[in-house]
Amino acid sequence: MSGERISTCSDAEVKGRFARLWSHMNGDERKDVVQKFAAVFSLMALIVVFSVTSDAFFSVGNAMTVSLQTTSIALLGIGVTVVILTGGIDLSVGSVLALSGTVAGLLVKDGWPIWAAMSMGVLTGMVCGCINGFVVTRLRLAPFIATLGMMLIARGLALQLTGAAPVSQLGEAFGVLGNGSLFRTLSVGANGLPKVIFPGIPYPVLIMIVMAIIVAFILRRLAIGRHIYAVGSNEQASRLAGVNVNSTKMFAYATSGFMAGICGIVLMSRLVTAQPNEGIMYELDAIAAAVIGGTSLMGGVGTISGTMIGAFVISILRNGLNMNGVSSFIQQIIIGCVIIGAVYIDHLRNRR
Amino acid sequence: MVAPAPIVEMKNIGKRFGGIHAVENVSVELRPGEVVGVLGHNGAGKSCLMKILSGAMNRTDGTIMVNGEEVALANPIEARHCGIETIYQSLALADHLDAPANLFLGRELKTRFGTLDDKRMEMEARQALRQLNPNFKNITDTVLNMSGGQRQVIAIARAIYFNARVVIMDEPTAALGPSETAMVAELIEKLREQGIGIFLISHDLNDVFDLCDRVMVMKNGQNVGTHAIDEVTKDDLLNLIILGKLPDNWSPRNLVAS
Repeated sequence: MSGERISTCSDAEVKGRFARLWSHMNGDERKDVVQKFAAVFSLMALIVVFSVTSDAFFSVGNAMTVSLQTTSIALLGIGVTVVILTGGIDLSVGSVLALSGTVAGLLVKDGWPIWAAMSMGVLTGMVCGCINGFVVTRLRLAPFIATLGMMLIARGLALQLTGAAPVSQLGEAFGVLGNGSLFRTLSVGANGLPKVIFPGIPYPVLIMIVMAIIVAFILRRLAIGRHIYAVGSNEQASRLAGVNVNSTKMFAYATSGFMAGICGIVLMSRLVTAQPNEGIMYELDAIAAAVIGGTSLMGGVGTISGTMIGAFVISILRNGLNMNGVSSFIQQIIIGCVIIGAVYIDHLRNRR
Repeated sequence: MVAPAPIVEMKNIGKRFGGIHAVENVSVELRPGEVVGVLGHNGAGKSCLMKILSGAMNRTDGTIMVNGEEVALANPIEARHCGIETIYQSLALADHLDAPANLFLGRELKTRFGTLDDKRMEMEARQALRQLNPNFKNITDTVLNMSGGQRQVIAIARAIYFNARVVIMDEPTAALGPSETAMVAELIEKLREQGIGIFLISHDLNDVFDLCDRVMVMKNGQNVGTHAIDEVTKDDLLNLIILGKLPDNWSPRNLVAS
């Protein structure tokens, strides 16, 4: 139903249509709708509460800040969601993003063109993901162990390569991806200083949206996506049905590594410095975003849109609590409670 | 009447794990429209033999002919190409997918752009499932919410849809209630009418007498007897299953009756 048509109907008509739509749905679709709206609703509630409690929260500038803060959680979360859907877990993404970013930074220092260095950074992430996939599918280690190992290896490698020092003076061009925006319009004011008419859409946000759409498309519309859900739902059954379980898992870990690589270059570009210590504990934010968005750690259940909502919930919560002067210690306690609460509600819903 | 040529001939099949013979020198054949019961204790080798036929396990000895041609059956996909479909005891279904997705799992229909053709899969699945069970509703529910009987229908529909010539059923009624068991019996009858050959692994002798044309009993990896169902009694089968042989003074039941 388009928005335009809704506006031409009376209230009763809308209700009637909704009731009809509702009665056409089966139990599962209804649950899904309830779940989706519950997540969106809690997101709205957070926004309303913070808008009331803090003057600075509801503004274009802050919306921009929140979106930018969300990008790294969301980019990692999208990749991690794909892995969790297969029934696995990826603990390495925080370290892999640091390795990818530092590789890109070091190559720029070495005289590589920005685009080539950044591509190598993303490729590094993907290679790390493939190694995770190899260890899980060929060496048959538990994903938790395999990616825990990679978490240490990638971090150690990033620190070793840089001598634990940030790689700076990368040039202004290195910062464009992280700090530029599309359709940014300025005008020169009477005092000769530029005045922002439209702040534009930051490139990181654009990348986040595009990647979310691409991965969601893969999951919903392509056979490999269907196989990812099937493997997470019943690995044995999928194998017997002729699904190549190993290559499906390989694809999932490679995607996660790829997303960590993208996140790495975007983040380092934003800082215009390659920081080997960046992204510590980010993997937990990413997993939390997936879980708050309704992804089941048992595999087979979850969506990219859910993870996006989860990522926004976390970053809005952080941002809003900051604006209200809540200490970072208390913030951790609150976010911890939100994760437990969200998963418990999900658990109740599935037990019905 | 001349018996039709067998679809499957397994000759002198053997499977060794190190020094242990899980299956030893077993021969059996299956004709179109025939239901052959495969009986035996746990560990008698019946599941192993059927896994060899379904491509899930590789044999160490023997030959398998499908429609008169020798085949390797190195993996489940090759077995499928030969028209051999297996319905597993654990009902190999992915719980969080719906009926069409399960039916086409691993063989998804695609649009010309290479994306999933969910509309066509749903339509085809609806048709295939209704053929087996006209009362099948909510096919877009996740399989998790379906009854054991509905799950069985999906598993069987999957076999039929892809033109199976041979269906291997591993304890198809073990997890079902009486009415659903009756429904599965009806399904087996439908498969038989279509000329599909069925190997039925079962522990339930009542099922075996209701559904099978012939039985083959295995003990310690060997075939201890293949009989037409009307020449044996339940006691005869129990003798074969437990002792591995028929009584010394045994004669076929149908001859005794006449």
